[in-house]
Amino acid sequence: MAIVAKTSRFSKIAWPTLAWVVALIFFFPIFYMILTSFKTDADAVKAEHVFFFTPTLENYANMSDNYDYWRFATNSVITSVFATLFALIVGVPCAYAMAFNPSRGTKDILMWMLSTKMLPAAAVLYPMTFLTKNVFNVFDTHFLVIFVLCLINLPIVVWMLFTYFKDIPKDIIEAGKMDGLTTWGEVKEILIPLAWGGIVSTALLTFIFCWNEAYWTVRLTTIDAATLSKLIEGNRAPEGLFFGRLSAVSTAAVGPIIVLGWFCQKQLVSGLTFGAVK
Amino acid sequence: MANRTIPRLLQTPAVLLLLFWMIVPLAMTLFYSFIRYVLNSTVRPEWTTPSWSNWRGFGNYEFVMNSKDFILAIKNSLFIVGSILTLTVVLGVMIAVLINRSFPGRGVVRVLLISPFFVMPAVNAVLWINMLLDPVLGLQGIAISAINDMAAGMQDAPLVGWFFNLWPVLEPISFRATQTSAIAVIMMVTWQWTPFAVLIFMTSLQSEDQQQKEAAVLDGASRWSQFRFLTLPHLGRPMAIVVMIQAIFHLSLYAEIEIVSRGNGNKNLPYLIGEFTNNNIGAASATGIFAVILANIVAIFLLRAVGKTLME
Repeated sequence: MAIVAKTSRFSKIAWPTLAWVVALIFFFPIFYMILTSFKTDADAVKAEHVFFFTPTLENYANMSDNYDYWRFATNSVITSVFATLFALIVGVPCAYAMAFNPSRGTKDILMWMLSTKMLPAAAVLYPMTFLTKNVFNVFDTHFLVIFVLCLINLPIVVWMLFTYFKDIPKDIIEAGKMDGLTTWGEVKEILIPLAWGGIVSTALLTFIFCWNEAYWTVRLTTIDAATLSKLIEGNRAPEGLFFGRLSAVSTAAVGPIIVLGWFCQKQLVSGLTFGAVK
Repeated sequence: MANRTIPRLLQTPAVLLLLFWMIVPLAMTLFYSFIRYVLNSTVRPEWTTPSWSNWRGFGNYEFVMNSKDFILAIKNSLFIVGSILTLTVVLGVMIAVLINRSFPGRGVVRVLLISPFFVMPAVNAVLWINMLLDPVLGLQGIAISAINDMAAGMQDAPLVGWFFNLWPVLEPISFRATQTSAIAVIMMVTWQWTPFAVLIFMTSLQSEDQQQKEAAVLDGASRWSQFRFLTLPHLGRPMAIVVMIQAIFHLSLYAEIEIVSRGNGNKNLPYLIGEFTNNNIGAASATGIFAVILANIVAIFLLRAVGKTLME
């Protein structure tokens, strides 16, 4: 044990170095993907060009021709934005009521909502396909993808918002009531300004989850409403011929989300653990 | 009572939507799991439409349980989930402790570490199985052939030549075979979810009782025993949460399995359901009910843990 104390100078250098090495190892696959995206398809599979090559932007320039990238990207943006928006429209009032007027059943409702999130999607694959194709006739539409993405994220939205709203002191709301504010007035004048940060981070995180969703977006779409997950999944085995262009389209698909993710690391913890880890 | 009505009204849309979302498809799955229902049958065309007259009782369940694929899929699911959980928790704790100190560039290290978590599953799988793990054209193949070439080139060198003559020629591993593709899936998901574990453990480490630690240091406790008797117990709860949340996510792992192992035997339950859905809806539904039961076993524990902190 004394060793630790004696080698403190050593450990001052060694541990941070190790931390950096670990971080670089974890980032390496992403780095390699970005690197490959600037190579020609021929260079991408050659040993002598792993790290040294003439960078080219042609993979990015040809993304529309090779993969029809922008169409899928547009679909991803539209579905993720609207799903997030609708989840908030439904989720904010619900979380507000639960946090400020909790009744005896509130806890049970919250737990039940969470339990819907735990249902394995695959279990209802055929009913969903059947209902959307034959009954509601909405298969492969933006509406369907938005609806499904909104629903699978609604529990997380309500939970995250609930944990934020719960921390707002009730006295402020009471004071507002004294001043004669209506319920809507409370929401507009007090709640939204105070909980704005929480709402924004909930929205960001939901957007990320929508963007990355890869079960329903793959199984319930074919062309019209297909998102980036579907695009990448459809090009899963390029047999090494197109590593350059595949890397470019992959980088374009994940790049914005990774950057967005950097800004909501903290919210990720409360969002994914349902407030159980603080 | 009037002030109870508005809160109820506000909750209604969310509750109704989720109720619909949960009950309707699940009830259909439950119904289909008890009837004979196939999409294509020239011999028994009456089985192609769902109806009570095709009642099969537990026949679909028996059929599924006796199929070789089902046992394989369950085993494979458990193998994949178990390996990922072990790896992410062990790596997660180690890395969280490692970066839970101040050092130059800590913010950048955090950002680099968390990045894999935001990569969409489809890209994760395509990136690993092609660009990184392909035995010929991926980084694995390139690196191994480079090492072999180097060893071959050194065999004639003076002094060290004998060493490289003994050097074995390395064989790249193909990660598209049944067993190796399960390992590829474990690798890519571990890469993606270790950052999540790190993030949770770090959050939890920051709430560790510092006074207790200082007391331990004064008492001459070693780093190891500080870790063993203070940090590790403190991380017990977050570990349980990480394990349960991941178990729920990974039991329904789909994109990675689909991309890595299409056509070989590396199946899990969701993939098997997808296969059955091509024709035998009865079997697909029965498998689905098994998947729901499996997920519920985990979910009960998770909900209990989450419920404890809910109303404080």
